[in-house]
Amino acid sequence: MSEMWLNMGPQHPMTHGLWNLRVHIDGEVIRDVDPEMGYLHRGIEKLSEDRHYNEVVTLMDRTCYVAGLAWEHLYILASEEALHIAPPERAQYLRVLCEEFQRIASHLMWYAAFVQDIGLMTPFLYGMRDRDLILDLFQSYTGARMTYEYMRVGGVRNDVPPGFTDRARQVLDWLEPRFVEYDQLTLGSDIFHKRCDNLGVLRANDCVTQGVTGPMLRSAGLKRDLRKDRPYAVYDQLDFEVALADTADVTGRYLVRLEEMRQSVRILRQVLDWLDRHPGPVMASQLPRWLGAPYAPVGREGYLLKRNYPKGVGFSAVEEPHGEALAYVVNEGGEHPYRVKFRSPVYANIAAARHYLVGYRVADIPPIMGSVDICVGEVDR
Amino acid sequence: MTATPAAVAPPKNASKVESHRADAELPMAGEPAVPFLEIEALRAREFIPAAKEALTDLIAEQGQSKLIRPVFNWAGRNSLFPLHWGLACCAIEFAAAFGARWDAERFGVVPRSSPRQSDLMIVNGTVTWKVAHKLITLYEQMPEPKWVIAMGNCATGGGPFRTAYSVVPGVDKLVPVDVYIAGCPPRPEAMLDGILLLETLIRERKE
Amino acid sequence: MKPEDLARSLPPVLAPVLLGVEAFPGFAARVRFRREGALDVFRAIHDLGFTHLAMIGGIDWVDHREVIYTVWSDEARTYLLLSTDVPADDPRVESAVPVWPSANWHEREAWELVGITFDHHPDLRHLLTPDGYAFHPLLRSFKIHEPEELEVKTRHV
Repeated sequence: MSEMWLNMGPQHPMTHGLWNLRVHIDGEVIRDVDPEMGYLHRGIEKLSEDRHYNEVVTLMDRTCYVAGLAWEHLYILASEEALHIAPPERAQYLRVLCEEFQRIASHLMWYAAFVQDIGLMTPFLYGMRDRDLILDLFQSYTGARMTYEYMRVGGVRNDVPPGFTDRARQVLDWLEPRFVEYDQLTLGSDIFHKRCDNLGVLRANDCVTQGVTGPMLRSAGLKRDLRKDRPYAVYDQLDFEVALADTADVTGRYLVRLEEMRQSVRILRQVLDWLDRHPGPVMASQLPRWLGAPYAPVGREGYLLKRNYPKGVGFSAVEEPHGEALAYVVNEGGEHPYRVKFRSPVYANIAAARHYLVGYRVADIPPIMGSVDICVGEVDR
Repeated sequence: MTATPAAVAPPKNASKVESHRADAELPMAGEPAVPFLEIEALRAREFIPAAKEALTDLIAEQGQSKLIRPVFNWAGRNSLFPLHWGLACCAIEFAAAFGARWDAERFGVVPRSSPRQSDLMIVNGTVTWKVAHKLITLYEQMPEPKWVIAMGNCATGGGPFRTAYSVVPGVDKLVPVDVYIAGCPPRPEAMLDGILLLETLIRERKE
Repeated sequence: MKPEDLARSLPPVLAPVLLGVEAFPGFAARVRFRREGALDVFRAIHDLGFTHLAMIGGIDWVDHREVIYTVWSDEARTYLLLSTDVPADDPRVESAVPVWPSANWHEREAWELVGITFDHHPDLRHLLTPDGYAFHPLLRSFKIHEPEELEVKTRHV
C-alpha cells in the first residue's frame, strides 16, 4: 500500500485558491499529478456576451483579483481595437502606471503568500504592509482597493488627483530599499535555500512546449517579455530591462520576480515624470454616444445609432504579472461583445504541472506550486 | 493604546484594552451576571485564581447548569477560529486583514487549516455548484457549535455573477448563514466588523 | 513577417487545404484552412518557428463554428492566427496535441464550453464544468437568466 492517489485541495493551504491537485505518490515520491480545476468557474466569458462594453470591465477586476488593472488593460486594448477607437496619450501613460503598480502589488502578494509556504512567517507581514501602500495609491484615484473599474473604452475614467505623483514617488522611495530587506529575509535564510534550490526545474525547451510563460519562462533563461517583444500602449518609449535567471528552479523564479519589481519602479519613475510634464485629456473626444453612457438610450435615437455600430475583431497581448495574457474580442455590431475569449497565463502554467512536479517529494509541492503564483480566478474565469 | 517597553509591568488597564467594543458588551436578558466574564483580557497568572474564585461562587449561588452556557459563549466568542480557505477575491482582503495594518489576530481570530479545528466558516468568494457539495462537507466536518459568515456580495447573493450558469446565488442556499457582510470585496475593516457582530450574536445564544 | 512571405514559405503540398493567408489586425496574418488537413497545417506552421501555442478558442456563428488557434514565434516575435470552420451538426477537428502538447487543456476547454470535439485527443474530460455537465454554455443558444428561487437554509433556533 505504498502507491496511492492523494487529493490536495480544494481546501488546502497549499492551493492559494480553490482547486484540487491530485497527486499519485509512491511513498513520498510524486509519480504523477492531475490538477482538477473549475471550482471557481463563474462563466465570465458568457456573462461578457450579455454586458455593455464598459460593463465587462467590472468582470475583469474579478477575473484576476490580484492583478485587476492589468486585466482591465488587456480587455480594453482588445475592445478598443474591435471598436476602432484610439485613446489619448495621457490615458495610455496612466494605464501603464496602473499596470506597473499592479505588477508590484501582485508580486508582493505572491511574496507574502510564498514565504509562508516555505515556513518563513514574518516576511508575510512585510509583504502585506508594503502592498497596502500601493493599494492606498490606487484608492486615491480609483476609489477602491481591489476592484477598480478604472479603465474605459477610449481612455480612463478620471485623471489622478493633484499631488498624486509626489505621493507615488514617496512610495517608490520607500519600496526600493525594501527589496533589499526582502532579499535579506529570504535569501539570507538557510530554510529558504534548503526548500527552494533545484526544486521544480523546468528548462526553457519544456517551457515552450508546454506553453509556460511569465516569470517561470524567464527564470529558465528565455528572454520573452511582451512589453519588449510586442510593445503595447507606450512601452516602446520606456526604458527597462527584462528580468532573467538561468536556474529554472524555485529560487530562479523568486529572483526574477524581485528583479521585475525593481524594473517596475524604474518604469514608474519615467511614467510619473511624463505625467508631470504633459497634462491633457484622459478620454477620447470622439466617442459614440452609446459608449459614453453605460446604458444606451432605447427608442428612436437608439435605433439610429444601432445602424452605425462598427464591426471588427480586437486582439491584445499583455505581459500580466503572471505571464502572457491574451484577449480576443469579436464585435458583430451592437452594444455587447459577440464573443470574448481570454488566455490566462496561470492556466497554461498549471497545465504543465506534471512536468515540474514529477520526481520530487510531497513536501516539495508547496514551494513549487507557490513559485507558480496561482490565481484561480483567471484560470477558471 | 500606548506601547509599553518590554519587561516592564503591563499597564494597569490591561483588562480594558477592548474598550471600543462598549456597544457589544450590553448585558443580555436572561444571561446570569457573571462578573469576571465582563473582563476580556487577563494575564495567565491573574486569570486562574480569578476564574477559580468566580466559578466557585457562582456554582454555589446558581448551580452548575446555568453557568456553563455563559462561560462557554464567553470562551467561544473570544477565540473564533475561521477555516483557512480562499474562494475568490474576498480571500485576498481576508488575508490582508491578517496583515500588519489590521491584525485580525488581536480579536482572537486565528485561521486553522483543518475544518475539525475551526468553528467559523468565512465564505469569502463566489460559490459555484461544482464546489457546493465540498463546501457542505467541510461545514459538516466542523464541530458544533459553528457559525458561517457570508463575506461579500457573491456569497450573499451571487454578486455580479448572479446570472451565471455555474454560480450558487448565495451561500445561504447551502448552509445556514449567521452574518452577511456587504461589499465587493468588503474592506478588512468590514470583515472585522462582521466578526464583532458575530461575537454579539454568540453572546445572546442560549440553547 | 508579411502574409505574402508566410504564404510563400508554406509547403506547396498544403495548397488543397489552405483557404487563404490574409492580413489580420493584431496578428502577422490569418491562415484559414480546411479541417481535413489540420494536422499537416499545424506541422508546417510549427516548423516555421511558431513553437508556442498560446490559446485555442471556439466561436459559435450559429450556422457553423470557428476554431481559432493563436501561435507565437520567438524568432519572428509575432502572433499568427489559424482558423478553421466546422459545421454545427458535426463539430470535430483533429487535435493539435501531437504538434503542440500545450493544446491539451485548451482543447478540453473548447470541447466543454463550445462543444467542439477534438479527434485523437489523449484525455478529453471536463475541466471547468462538473463531470457530466450536459450543456455547452458558450453556444449562442444557451441563454443566461436570473436564478430560480431556492430555499434559504436556517437554523432551528
